Amino acid sequence: MSRRIITPPPAATVSGCNEYRTLDQRGVTRRTFLKGMVGTGALLLSRPLFPNLPFVAFAQTPREVDTLVVIFLRGGMDSLAAIVPVGEGAAFYDRRSQTAVPESRVIDLDGFFGFHPALGRLEDIYRGGHLAVVHAAGSPDPSRSHFDAMEYMERGTPGVRVTETGWLTRHLQSVPWTNDSPFRAVAMGALLPSSLQGPEASLALESLDGFELNVPDHLRPDLENGLRELYRNVGAGPAFQREAESVFSTMRDLRRMADGGGLERGNSGALGYPETSFGQALRQVAQLIRADVGLEVACVDLGGWDTHEEQGGVEGQFADLLSELGAGLAAFYEDVAERSNRLTVVTMSEFGRKLEENASGGTDHGRGGSMLVMGGGVSGGVHTVWPSLTPAALDDGDLAITTDFRDVLSEILVQRLQNPSVDSVFPGYRANYRGIVRPGA
Amino acid sequence: MHLEPSRLVDADLHLVNRLTWGARPRDLERVRELGEDGYLEWQLDYAAIDDPLVDRFLAEHPVLLEDVRGIRRALDEDYGAVYQQVIWGRLYRAAYSERQLYEKMVEFWTDHFNVPLPDMVPEKVVDDREVARTHALGRFRDLLMASARSPGMLIYLDNTFSNRDHPNENYSREVMELHTLGVDGGYTQQDVVEVARCFTGWTLDQEWRGSFVFDRNRHDEGEKVVLGHRIAAGRGIEDGLQVIDILAAHPSTARFISKKLCKRFVSDDPPADLVDAVATTFLATDGDIRAALRALFTSEGFRAARGTKFRRPLEAIVAMLRALTPGVQVHDMWAASWTLERMGHLPYNWFPPNGYPDSADPWLNVNGLLRRWDIAMVLAHTSQGWTDGAITLDLSAVIPDVPTIGELVETTWRRLIGQELDRGTRATILAALGDPRPTQRVTQEFREERLPSLVGLVLASPAFQLT
Repeated sequence: MSRRIITPPPAATVSGCNEYRTLDQRGVTRRTFLKGMVGTGALLLSRPLFPNLPFVAFAQTPREVDTLVVIFLRGGMDSLAAIVPVGEGAAFYDRRSQTAVPESRVIDLDGFFGFHPALGRLEDIYRGGHLAVVHAAGSPDPSRSHFDAMEYMERGTPGVRVTETGWLTRHLQSVPWTNDSPFRAVAMGALLPSSLQGPEASLALESLDGFELNVPDHLRPDLENGLRELYRNVGAGPAFQREAESVFSTMRDLRRMADGGGLERGNSGALGYPETSFGQALRQVAQLIRADVGLEVACVDLGGWDTHEEQGGVEGQFADLLSELGAGLAAFYEDVAERSNRLTVVTMSEFGRKLEENASGGTDHGRGGSMLVMGGGVSGGVHTVWPSLTPAALDDGDLAITTDFRDVLSEILVQRLQNPSVDSVFPGYRANYRGIVRPGA
Repeated sequence: MHLEPSRLVDADLHLVNRLTWGARPRDLERVRELGEDGYLEWQLDYAAIDDPLVDRFLAEHPVLLEDVRGIRRALDEDYGAVYQQVIWGRLYRAAYSERQLYEKMVEFWTDHFNVPLPDMVPEKVVDDREVARTHALGRFRDLLMASARSPGMLIYLDNTFSNRDHPNENYSREVMELHTLGVDGGYTQQDVVEVARCFTGWTLDQEWRGSFVFDRNRHDEGEKVVLGHRIAAGRGIEDGLQVIDILAAHPSTARFISKKLCKRFVSDDPPADLVDAVATTFLATDGDIRAALRALFTSEGFRAARGTKFRRPLEAIVAMLRALTPGVQVHDMWAASWTLERMGHLPYNWFPPNGYPDSADPWLNVNGLLRRWDIAMVLAHTSQGWTDGAITLDLSAVIPDVPTIGELVETTWRRLIGQELDRGTRATILAALGDPRPTQRVTQEFREERLPSLVGLVLASPAFQLT
């Protein structure tokens, strides 16, 4: 038996030193720490991982169903700074001396709104008609607690805290087809988001690579069988058995894929994914999509939007985050270009931020936010019933909400994901469709 | 997540597993010697417990005792070394301190008053020492006050930037939602605004930004109304002090803290009457944390909840280190911290202000289970050099020599889990060891090849992961 070093062996080989120590000795912050790991991941992924051909067939999913990628911008994204209402003139700019991009620097969208220049990489997709911008969107519940607001959105039931399942889980439960792929619903990250909580098996993965037990190869079957058996008999409840079984099916399928052949596209580094955990997560979602493993919904998070201080304007921490978002979305879209007709990406955030800046050069929790919807089936452009920023139109001093987030999600589920009973996803809610996506074939 | 209680866990083991970071044989001996109440009282009076290993650890890592300036200097010299020491300090004290309940409460308050480490290493080290470690088993009001004045909290939730012209609501909202009343605790958006005004001027010294000062020039001296209490105009730091008194004494706070304690120490869905009883004690004793814990640990609700908590990743790894004592030596913590990172539970690396989640739901997932099993297997197989020498394990110091394989399985289970092995599990484990006859002699070869597998399986088993 060869001598093996536990994760991350390639990093140890490359650097001659363990990754953790190496990175920390460079004196890095958390952010660059993650970037460093991602760099490692890029090395790992440059070797064969996924084949050209689908080696694992879960093909019960109808062909005309889009894969949905949900990107949650955690912390409350300042949509007024990202999709600038330049047409408001002084009603906007007088309230935003430090956190607004001047009209001369925005990327014009429709004469009234303009992208923050950090979203520059989305311009081509927007001009190509594949990106819809939904402004003044959000949740009808007025909570300005991050955690309540996120839970309400991810459970899909504003104001109701006892909902046990996530909206994506209910979608998966309510479609007429079955799909026993362990990759049916994947969250890129160590923990499962609330939108995927519930009895449908969903997978949280912080990396597709190295999903194995480090045990001697000749003992592996015995040990895996032993673990499976031990967890089959847990008296605590069925969740243990279900998750344990999923560990084994996930390992099995990743092995089959890895054994199947070469990576279909080795140059994804050239696409300009950000060297961050967000960029890495999107890259791996693209790999799952191209590998045809039955992926129906994927969740990716980008955090850091709680910009109470030193938010910045054209440049700064907010611009850096937007740039990461824009670059990630653009690289991802290019990576899965040949499948873009069967793909919808939607971004959401728990709330927008106050119209008025605070004293710290930042913005506090507000109301109306925005959603971006990207894909081949999207009707591009700005879709908004703009409430305006006149004092009377504001909601407690902030941008009002004219599009319920469930309107956007319902339309996507029905038109693009063929959901026949969106009522069970958003119980009691009657959605107004905005024409954001076209009906699928 | 509701988890069914287990009949296989006896009362002593249950108490020790919940009071400590993992039961070792001598912890079980101790509870049998002192009785359950005696054991609880011994652990509650933590200052009277000698803690030689931790004393030595701190003597060897003096940066953990420095102030903000001193830690900044050390970071300038070697950032990575300091960062590692801080994280290792969390694991080390959890694993090896004799003051186990104290260390569990330090962890509880670390989550409750979450302040992340990256970008704020000096402030976090001071925060850990002066907030959670000073008041872990003291009075809640003192804890809340220490947190409100902590440089780490003042920076993290932006109060240091707040002033009378633009009160910043970040701390104001979280101090009510997350630290005291709870989101349903009866405050309004107007209270958030008023509390923010009360805390204007609570900031850091200009020179080093390393210690609390009250800056009257930034303070809003106007009248405020907080939760129905009129706060008179023209005062200074007293506004914030009064807010802390109002919040600490509020019945919603008693209920919110008690429910969190019950979720941590009893079960993910604790019985309502137990939460009420703990809250009543909390309120009646003016927020005496010891009294609240005494009410909790001596309750029927606690006794009934055996085997209903799924160890969080940090708890699982620390419990493995404890179970393998004295055979395990950690020379470099990278394997443990790398695993914690991949499981989403690296200490002090949770960025939203609500702290790492407590219930099983977010932790019990495919990724989390695999990584958990993997670290159990890796630790058990360190004799094969798999951690590159970062962790070494001498299994002969943990699992005694016994004649037969059946006895080896039973002894290992008893040693690592702390209870007797049931027949079904025994058969499963034997099968996973190549299905030897239980009466077969333990050969040197079996010990070398299969004992690590046995230890790994036991550490990865549901019996170890659920306490």
